[in-house]
Amino acid sequence: MEKARISAFQLFILIVLFELGSAMIVPLAIEAKQGAWLAILIGAAGGCGIFLIYYALFRYYPDESPVHFVRHIIGSVPGKIVAFLYILYFLYLSARVVRDFGEMLITIAYVETPLFVLNLLMVLLAVYTIRKGIEVLARTGELLFIVLAFLFLSAFLLIAAGGTLDYGNLKPVMGEGLAPIVKTAFTQTIYFPFGEIFAFMMIMPYVTDPKKVKRTGLLAITASGFVLASIMAANTGVLGVELVNRSLFPLLATIQSIELADFLERLDVYFMLAAIIGGFVKITLFLYVSVAAAADLFKVKKPSQLAYPLGVVVLLLSIMIAGSLPEHIQEGIKLVPLYLHLPFQVILPALVLLVAFVRHKGRGKEGEAK
Amino acid sequence: MQENKNISFGHNEFNIQGKVKGAMASFFKRRKKSIQISKNEEPGSGQEKKKEETGPMQAGKSEESSAGKSGEASQKQPDALYTSLAANLDKIKRKTGNSPDVVIRPIKVGGAQAELETAVVYVKGLVDDQSIHDFLIESLMNNAELQKELSPEKAMKTIKDDVVAIGGIKSVKKWDDLFADLMSGNALILIDGSEEALMASTQGGQRRSVQEPTTNVAIRGSKESFTESLETNQAMVRRIINNPDLWVESMNLGKMTKTSVSIMYINGIAKKEIVDEVRTRLKQIDIDSILESGYIEQLIEDQTMTTFPTVYHTERPDAVAGNLLEGRVAVFVNGTPFVLLAPAVFIQFFQSVEDYYARFDISTAIRFLRVLIFFISLVGPAVYIAATTFHQEMIPTALAIIVAAQRESSPFPAFVEAIIMEVTFEILREAGLRLPKAIGATVSIVGGLVVGQAAVQAGIVSPAMLIVVAITAIASFATPSYAIAISARLIRFLFMVSAAMFGFYGLILALIMLIVHLCSLRSFGIPYMSPLAPVIPSELGDTIVRKPLWAFGKRPQLIAAENRTREGKNQKPKPPESRGMKHYTRKEEKDET
Amino acid sequence: MKRKWILFSTMMISMAFLSGCWSKKELSELALISAVGIDRDEDGNYMKAIQIINPGNVSSGLQGGGGGQAPGVTVITAEGKSIVDVHINASAEISRQLYHPHANLIVIGEDLAREQPLNTLLDSFDRNAEFRNTAQLVIAKKSPAADLIKVLSPVEKLPSEKIYKTLDVTEKMRGENITVSLQDFIKTSASPGIEPVLSSFTLEGDVKEGKKQENIQQSQPETIVKADGLAIFKEDKLVDFYSGNMARGVVWILDRVKQTDVLLDWKKNKDAITYSVIRQSTSVSADTSKDLPEITVNVKAEGMIRETEAPVKLDDPNVIHELEKTAEKEIKEQLERTVKQTQNKKTDIFGFGQTVYRKDADKWKKLRNNWNDDYFPNLKVKVNVDAFIRRTGLRTAPNLSEIKEKYE
Repeated sequence: MEKARISAFQLFILIVLFELGSAMIVPLAIEAKQGAWLAILIGAAGGCGIFLIYYALFRYYPDESPVHFVRHIIGSVPGKIVAFLYILYFLYLSARVVRDFGEMLITIAYVETPLFVLNLLMVLLAVYTIRKGIEVLARTGELLFIVLAFLFLSAFLLIAAGGTLDYGNLKPVMGEGLAPIVKTAFTQTIYFPFGEIFAFMMIMPYVTDPKKVKRTGLLAITASGFVLASIMAANTGVLGVELVNRSLFPLLATIQSIELADFLERLDVYFMLAAIIGGFVKITLFLYVSVAAAADLFKVKKPSQLAYPLGVVVLLLSIMIAGSLPEHIQEGIKLVPLYLHLPFQVILPALVLLVAFVRHKGRGKEGEAK
Repeated sequence: MQENKNISFGHNEFNIQGKVKGAMASFFKRRKKSIQISKNEEPGSGQEKKKEETGPMQAGKSEESSAGKSGEASQKQPDALYTSLAANLDKIKRKTGNSPDVVIRPIKVGGAQAELETAVVYVKGLVDDQSIHDFLIESLMNNAELQKELSPEKAMKTIKDDVVAIGGIKSVKKWDDLFADLMSGNALILIDGSEEALMASTQGGQRRSVQEPTTNVAIRGSKESFTESLETNQAMVRRIINNPDLWVESMNLGKMTKTSVSIMYINGIAKKEIVDEVRTRLKQIDIDSILESGYIEQLIEDQTMTTFPTVYHTERPDAVAGNLLEGRVAVFVNGTPFVLLAPAVFIQFFQSVEDYYARFDISTAIRFLRVLIFFISLVGPAVYIAATTFHQEMIPTALAIIVAAQRESSPFPAFVEAIIMEVTFEILREAGLRLPKAIGATVSIVGGLVVGQAAVQAGIVSPAMLIVVAITAIASFATPSYAIAISARLIRFLFMVSAAMFGFYGLILALIMLIVHLCSLRSFGIPYMSPLAPVIPSELGDTIVRKPLWAFGKRPQLIAAENRTREGKNQKPKPPESRGMKHYTRKEEKDET
Repeated sequence: MKRKWILFSTMMISMAFLSGCWSKKELSELALISAVGIDRDEDGNYMKAIQIINPGNVSSGLQGGGGGQAPGVTVITAEGKSIVDVHINASAEISRQLYHPHANLIVIGEDLAREQPLNTLLDSFDRNAEFRNTAQLVIAKKSPAADLIKVLSPVEKLPSEKIYKTLDVTEKMRGENITVSLQDFIKTSASPGIEPVLSSFTLEGDVKEGKKQENIQQSQPETIVKADGLAIFKEDKLVDFYSGNMARGVVWILDRVKQTDVLLDWKKNKDAITYSVIRQSTSVSADTSKDLPEITVNVKAEGMIRETEAPVKLDDPNVIHELEKTAEKEIKEQLERTVKQTQNKKTDIFGFGQTVYRKDADKWKKLRNNWNDDYFPNLKVKVNVDAFIRRTGLRTAPNLSEIKEKYE
């Protein structure tokens, strides 16, 4: 772990940017049709629940990185294996987000540009930032947050003023009943994007005031849940469920349909700015977490030295994980939540927490006996 | 040996006492420390260790003290003055290469019987002629006491106590000090048979007078600006802050130039760590010359791999005063009107003293404008390049048609066109800057005509590009701080390249990289982007916006020390009714009369 | 470390110069498309007319660049098996890369629209990120789409702009047309319980004349393109054209009328009074309690009297009240007629099905399969109109002196 301190507010901002990251540009929870926003909110509530598991673990070892304390809890060798698996998991997730953004850029504006080049630039920027450390990333997040907040507020104003929003499109909220909404929440939104907050296990120890972590985390998940829900609601309101369902990047279509005063139109750059900011924070955080974890695990003295090699891994992985965009997306919807997110975000942490709980309880009793 | 050490410290202290002018406060501090050292001295413990313990204060003195020590050890310092006047004068002549502006004026004192040879030595031009004549030479020649028979020691004492009618006078024993004083404009009185010389402070000579500032111009506010004289500059700030807590420490930097440099801060407001850090960094400077405060700036920056200034400089006394009151430390350098202020934060470069003199609503609007200006001067041409070569779909159709029509005849790609125009503009600016004012105007006319009219009419560049370049150029002039404007000028080219290669994607990545870079900077340990990042909510009121003056409660928390209260509570002006004052109406007026 | 940095930066720079700028396209290498028109020839091939902007001729203020001398647009046509195929074939005729994003008009020929479902035709536009989904979609009535594209327009330098703006203005002033963007059309056609409508344009005069610059160099152009009501779709195929009050009825029920004039009868004088609707709001609600839903259309209109040709005492509130009743009756009749006829056409362009779906999704599940053919024609539709006359202009009673006595 590097010697760094971030404030609770910075943690809040990082979480929000991270959650919005890639989730805001994709048709999140569209399986729930008009109830997508509701599914997102339910997902956020579930995310809060998962976060409490992580927080409970963090409470046992508030100053240590999970790579360390997992060894205390489940033993040295199994702990190392688990930590290594998590590093791979984070690298994979980082690569997924890089791929998402590369594909988005190609689809919307850079048809002729090789995916490799677009991804390379993004990874380079992430590596550059990681070498500066978490404090700089946190401060950068604060500034980017201002930009993003400005973008969102003005975009919502423009959409509302442009008259393209039709609330009728949001009805009926529960055309098929509550079942599809809950199902979507539990198969998708809990894990993506809210469960991915697991990455912050590595960052929580940096927070100056550990007491505030819980409140900050829950607040951040709730806030990002509301923002994502309102984005999806706006998408549905402007485009209608069918179009959102068929769109890869519904937010882009929503922003493109803004036409105001014969001049405020073609605001694609809005979308690009927001998407790249979100993507940058998410990619950088995932990569940072894997770099920090790897440095801890392999006892590398200067974690920033690992940024380049792991950056290259992410870059290559982002090219190799799928042959085509549909394949990439289907993996993301069908396979990843079930086979990666569920075990890594819920099952493993819950098990580790259970062990920790039992051990600490035992220890506590011993203490009483003495 | 023990004895020697103590003496050496005493000697050292004496020297400092002689050297430090004006800063009584800092003198006391130092003295206290040296005394402490002498007391704590234990037999057998190494002196080096002691030195380390006393910290940075002591480290700076090591050179002098070691010189003193070796001198005492041989009971005769090689550095010490000779007893014979002739030998001394000879040494001075040799050392100064017989320069004609080093004036040696022999005077005989001690009456007719025992004529005592003395001499006054000074450098012409550096001294105030009038004080030399009226208060030094004339006094020496006409004083009755001196016409009696005297021993050199007696003469020395008499001259020091009764004769010379000049404020600063002191004894000098070492050649190094002697030359340093002589070359800084002091007059030297040498007496045959004495190992000491007297040094009268007669600094003066021709100096630029106080004029209006040329770089940080403000419509409202003091019209004074700093001059090249360190003393004048310090006095100007002292005139604004009439408080004994305004402390000055001075030192000489530059092995050849021995430039006077002093740091100024307000005790109790400036953070001690920051003052110490500034002092340490200054002491670490080991260079032959300091010709301008820019030398210092470059040698004490936190990070050098950046185009952004992390030390603020200004030539306005009121700006220095304002910053001192926020807890910053000022560094004065003799010979330049630019005073350094540290630590500096990014947003500071968008603020001008006038913001605090005007009402808050106006200042806020202007600050927003400045940030916009900075942004335009940063990305103006890059956005044009990105929009016309990658993202034509984002230009409104009517505008796209106009730009397309203009681009029809242009032989260059937009990027090349932009580079040509930007470079041309930089050439014009540089030319206009360096030439005498009269010719400068000609250059701008020729430049405007050639680049503006002819290039467009010939179809070499498109009018749209010209408009973009012109707006960018004007924007870069409108940024209040030249230091930040020039870094924007440089980064602009980087943005243009990234926009030309990858359009808005490249531009946005470059912008994010810039933000990361800015966030990674620190100025004397203070994050450069504070109070925006890390965000300090209570201080956001004095960043891009400026809150009303009556709401300024505290000084910046990262910079200022314990005394952070800036103004009392309830400073908001209230109408007189709230204090029970009657409404002044026409009727009452009648009653009174 | 230093050497590594130098190596790294050299690599980066050389990479940038060797490879960069893939997606780069200079503005002067592009042919900005302003409009496309799509038809089908006898062999079943697509025919596409592409209207390209000549920037130099459009922005005439520039260095005396011959605006007014040459037309602002050039039209090229090509054929092909698919829309993209045509597009690629068309590039054989033009020296620049065809660039879509500035096209704000897509014209579909009547014949093509009748034969082929439009959503299949528009797939390439929808799929291609280069194409703006805010482009307007219109139907060429009685003439090939290509002809509409070719005719030069007076006032506006770009013919596409002319159609685009005409549509906008006439929607606002007359309420017989409606602007439908590509995205709107696709959205509507994909939504359950509503069928799309489009505005239609016709060509008056000879297209050969219209292509020439001389056409617009006279005070009254020989050939002109004008807005002409609505095209009605069923399952994305064109089935009929509505014009006049029928078209306005549709626009009204869709709550898209902004301003319009309603002619009222007064006593024996037919169409004697012009009632101008300044603002209106229409809401459609459904009662799904019975087997077949019942639809209620509520119209609330506000406006003023603009013209009277009959003697009417406009300063009398009672008369105004009576006029309001007349207006309500007139509007109600018009809307009911529109609904009735549309029910006969068996296509739910009003979105009554959508209203039902939004109200009661379960009910809609039972009805959706044969909605257009079985349920929609038999719907009971009730129209309620509230009309208000707020003011009557600068004068009160009309200046019809010889019939003043008749007032009493």
